[in-house]
Amino acid sequence: MISRRATIKSLLLSATVIAGAGGFGSEAQAADKVLKVGMNLSFTGADAENAARIGNGAILAFDEANAKKEVPGYTFQLVKYDDATPTAGQYDPAQAATNARSMISDKATVAAIGPQMSGAGKAMAPILSQGDLAIITPASTNPDITDPKFAAQYRPAGKAIYFRTVATDAFQGPNMANYMADKLKVKSVYMLDDTGAYGVGLADAFQAQAEKKGIKVLGRDKLDPKAVDYSSTLTKIKGMNPDAIYYGGVGQAGVKLAKQAYDIMPKVIKAGGDGMQSADLLKGAGFPAVEGWYATVASPHFDEAGDAKAKAFGEAYFKKFNQHPDDYTVTCYTAAEVIIQAVKDLVKAKKPIDRSTMRDAIQKVDLKTSLVGPVEFDANGDLKNKVISVFKITKDEKAPLDDPTAQYKYVGTAPMS
Amino acid sequence: MTSVDIIVQQLINGLSLGSMYALLALGFTLVYGIAELINFAHFNVFMVGSMIGFLTLQAFGLVGQETTLTGLPLVGVLLTGFAASMLGCGLIGMGIERFLLRKLSAVKGPAAMITTIGVSYVLFNVVLLTLGSDSKNFPNPIPPMQWAIGGAVLRVREVAIWAISLGLMGALTYFVSYTKLGKAMRATAQDPDAARMMGVEVDKVIMTAFFVGGALAGACGMIFGLYYNLAKVDIGFGAGLRAFTAAVLGGIGNVPGAMVGGILIGLIEAFAGQTIGSAWADVVIFSLLVLVLVFQPAGLLGRLAPNKS
Repeated sequence: MISRRATIKSLLLSATVIAGAGGFGSEAQAADKVLKVGMNLSFTGADAENAARIGNGAILAFDEANAKKEVPGYTFQLVKYDDATPTAGQYDPAQAATNARSMISDKATVAAIGPQMSGAGKAMAPILSQGDLAIITPASTNPDITDPKFAAQYRPAGKAIYFRTVATDAFQGPNMANYMADKLKVKSVYMLDDTGAYGVGLADAFQAQAEKKGIKVLGRDKLDPKAVDYSSTLTKIKGMNPDAIYYGGVGQAGVKLAKQAYDIMPKVIKAGGDGMQSADLLKGAGFPAVEGWYATVASPHFDEAGDAKAKAFGEAYFKKFNQHPDDYTVTCYTAAEVIIQAVKDLVKAKKPIDRSTMRDAIQKVDLKTSLVGPVEFDANGDLKNKVISVFKITKDEKAPLDDPTAQYKYVGTAPMS
Repeated sequence: MTSVDIIVQQLINGLSLGSMYALLALGFTLVYGIAELINFAHFNVFMVGSMIGFLTLQAFGLVGQETTLTGLPLVGVLLTGFAASMLGCGLIGMGIERFLLRKLSAVKGPAAMITTIGVSYVLFNVVLLTLGSDSKNFPNPIPPMQWAIGGAVLRVREVAIWAISLGLMGALTYFVSYTKLGKAMRATAQDPDAARMMGVEVDKVIMTAFFVGGALAGACGMIFGLYYNLAKVDIGFGAGLRAFTAAVLGGIGNVPGAMVGGILIGLIEAFAGQTIGSAWADVVIFSLLVLVLVFQPAGLLGRLAPNKS
């Protein structure tokens, strides 16, 4: 029974994989060798809109590389994997693990991009480590996965396989605490998290730094993402009269929190991490509830009016998808660029292209002029150049009210801790 | 806010939650009282109700919380929304009885109950595949007026929800106690065979119970949407489970018991959130349920149909 279900599941999966891969490879010449790149994001569920925007970055990068024949003799084929399930309503670590195994079992897959969610990353990393398949995450920021302290858990085979083109919550949380203390003059804060790997880690990191900066932490509560009513918790918080609340978590609880916090304590400063930077939040909670929320992104803010490369990217992206890129679209584009660069380096060195050589090449990649600044990884797979950008939701009547690139106003970078 | 203000505010929160649970619990209790069946499809009939409400309000061009209405347009829009969700869910309830459960009435054992679980999943997945799993921003045309009671805040929305819930519960009580069909329902609950011999059309009575239960779930879905400004495919399980607990706590089959149970659970949830954290609310609620069932197996108010074994 179980095995039969598993077969049906894998059949369904391969069907989505084929559907997802449509559009790629068709331009490939018969002689070209196809390099598969797995892309695991939460394409359905509460974070679907974000996933699409992130994934578009890689789609554009590989399409460009294939069209320009950037690596002669090789064609990139992006294979999509969805780690969200209907029962979870959002990402499901078990599904992420299944996807990691599928990537490993496809011998043509030489590198991977994703995941969007740290909870998924924690499930995938050990499996990918055993399979020696390098993955570059454009969005998952939980520091544990790349922390050498947890190497036995997340990279049992030894080498770093989990690379990031974003900074981690070890910076995202604390830097926002600095921003609150220094720029917003917050004296007291109440902590909330959504019980997920990302949310708890982010809130822990924020809380530790907030206490260091002299912000009084009045208490902490866990929000069950499947529960609907947070009014009793928020009423309790209102009674304590904090200057601010900080929420570590993603959209599923975030949407309900934003709505109810607006009703119960409209004037309190509200902030979250990159989990609160999403089209899903704007759509699900909407104005006026989301107005004034602070959110951070663990990468430099992409300025479309920046240098020539930024302009070219912005135009190409808009032409293809008829929307403006998010910051994590750009980090995903960069992740794809890293993979393309690694293949180029291997071809140049006349080395074979397999998972093991790809991992080593990604580890050594040195992109001087990517859209997010210089890209180099340390021995753990973390990006060396770390920047945390702060945004405030400020209503822009002229743009669509659910367009995050218009409604999240960039207010600067958060001070390093 | 002083501590008294906080208590008042949590009372307001708890009563609002409780009146929703009570409405939903009535559906469980009505069907159980008459058909001796726990209708697990009720969870997701309620969810479908909130989706129908969402689509109806959207059809009026309302988006989010920014367009508010007053006077006749407000009443008209709300009445249409309630009518659509109540009728839609009532018909779903009736359909479940007429086309599925009636055919199973001769089958002994848990077949009927399992069928309702299956229907619940079908409803869930139909909504999931057609409307998606994202949070819908449920329009709220009720103006954001509010009154201050000391430091606590009472919003128009809450008053409206209490009024609608009370009205529906009153109408149901009147219907069951004083109308001919209501009498037939009580007779069927006591002894279906005797009722049939007295000329009661038992099939029709059972179908009516499913219709009324479904309609109350639909109304509750609409109220839920207006209160939380939210409709989502997965809201059925959480609210439904608590409402079911409310029905059992009050004494399943007992209409006033369901109301008492619902309000009680709403208040427990609010005060658990205040004191020990909302994550612990379920622990308190279900521990209480176990305790009540151990010492008072028929629930707080007992069963309405004591003659039936």
